[in-house]
Amino acid sequence: MTQYKNSTRVICGAIAITAFILLWYFGTSGTQLGNIMPGPVKVFRSFARSFVVPIGKYTMLGHAAWSFTRVIVGFSIASALGVVIGLGMGWSRVITAIFKPIIEIIRPIPAIAWIPLAILWFGLGETTKYFIIFLAGFFNVTLNAYHGATSVDQTLVGAARMLGTKNNRLFFAVVLPSSIPYIFAGMQIAITTSWATVVAAEMVRSSEGIGWLIISGMEINDTTRIFTGIVAVGILGFIFATIMREVENRVCRWSKKSDI
Amino acid sequence: MKKEKFSYKYILISAGTILGLLLIWETATDVLRLIPAVALPSPVEVAKTLLLKMTDTAPDGATIPQHLATSLKVALSGYSIGVIVGVPLGIAMAWYPKFALFAQPLFDLIRPIPGIAWIPLMIIFFGIGLLSKAMVVFTAAFISCVVNSFWGIRQTRDVHLWVGQTFGAGNFQLLWNVAIPTALPMIFTGMRIALGVSWSGLVVAELLASTRGLGFMIQQCRGLYRPDVIIAGMIAIGFVGAVLSYLLSWVEKIFLKGRKES
Repeated sequence: MTQYKNSTRVICGAIAITAFILLWYFGTSGTQLGNIMPGPVKVFRSFARSFVVPIGKYTMLGHAAWSFTRVIVGFSIASALGVVIGLGMGWSRVITAIFKPIIEIIRPIPAIAWIPLAILWFGLGETTKYFIIFLAGFFNVTLNAYHGATSVDQTLVGAARMLGTKNNRLFFAVVLPSSIPYIFAGMQIAITTSWATVVAAEMVRSSEGIGWLIISGMEINDTTRIFTGIVAVGILGFIFATIMREVENRVCRWSKKSDI
Repeated sequence: MKKEKFSYKYILISAGTILGLLLIWETATDVLRLIPAVALPSPVEVAKTLLLKMTDTAPDGATIPQHLATSLKVALSGYSIGVIVGVPLGIAMAWYPKFALFAQPLFDLIRPIPGIAWIPLMIIFFGIGLLSKAMVVFTAAFISCVVNSFWGIRQTRDVHLWVGQTFGAGNFQLLWNVAIPTALPMIFTGMRIALGVSWSGLVVAELLASTRGLGFMIQQCRGLYRPDVIIAGMIAIGFVGAVLSYLLSWVEKIFLKGRKES
């Protein structure tokens, strides 16, 4: 298929984005829409200001740090446990038989639907948020690790066995490495889901974090603040996805998995 | 790992685990009363509530089928518009590179923003009725539809296109007969992801602002300390989500008949 030069792509992209911002600018300056929707200049100014002037208790960096911590804690627990259980399920059919039905029963319930129950269980504090984010990431990682461990090339396993590899070494030298690309694919999805979930959890119940920023804008009818929050959510989500992709590229450089 | 012949042993283990968990749950709540009922009601009580709520409007003003109808109406209207707009847009972006030059940067701008983040804005713009929630669901569904259709079309082999061109197929014929069939599995994957995202996006929207719907029900019952209704609601949400995704895979099977599972 046709490929364009990088310079052409950058120029066309710049034109498209400029056109969009101009449309936004003229659509909101002096029109009826301008009364309920802030223009790009106002949003940008408010975004820049939020780094210096606190909104609520913290500045933008403070809110970002709160959300970031919540995601990292929940996501790390989910990944660690998910990899162990997923690989275990791939390794032994007894473990599969134990965990698979439980996972399949709980998985269709969106993590966010646990919020009211989690609040009754753990109160309004941080534990609730960690628990929700854990749930958001856990199933993705587990099922991908499981899938990875079951799709190991049987020729490799056979070869290793024929050469006298013991179970223990077979796991660490053959099964684990060939599952890594799958595990990372699962973690990639999990971090995106976790990020969306932390925003949701903070919107439902919290007094700091990016999600709170957005919902507090709604409560005081300040659309500029909502837009500031949305911009921050977008930027941080982009950063999360980029970090995960970089880590994946480094760890799985040998894997020929096509990049999507 | 190893291919073993089908055996009842594993089914027994699975059934045993679930029964065991239910038994522990029941013993801890009803029999030994280790956990207070305001935190975790017993499974028997949850089942009773689930049955009762099918016809009873207490304590939140509507029965489960009524809540469900409201939620489904919102989810399906937003989701279908998301698919109808998102899939063609993704296809167009992949097939017409000139269009992609301008559309892709714009799409990349909104792509990292989860659909959920738009909820407060939609509520301010469109109120707390059907429209604002349908818009949230639409945004959530739209993004994964575009992404997956785009990559599906991009996977078309050049060789296939060349063969088509050699036999004199026009651009539109190539798209319709070569590229779209290649992309269909990816398009369906996108629709399946979109369904999950839409359903959970809807629940958040209902948790935040609504007057009816399953999300509204569980949020209300948190305030009323009725965990039995919350759990019954979660079961309903999970069950309906699973049914929807099952229906979609059924449609997918009809469309992709005769294809190998990837």
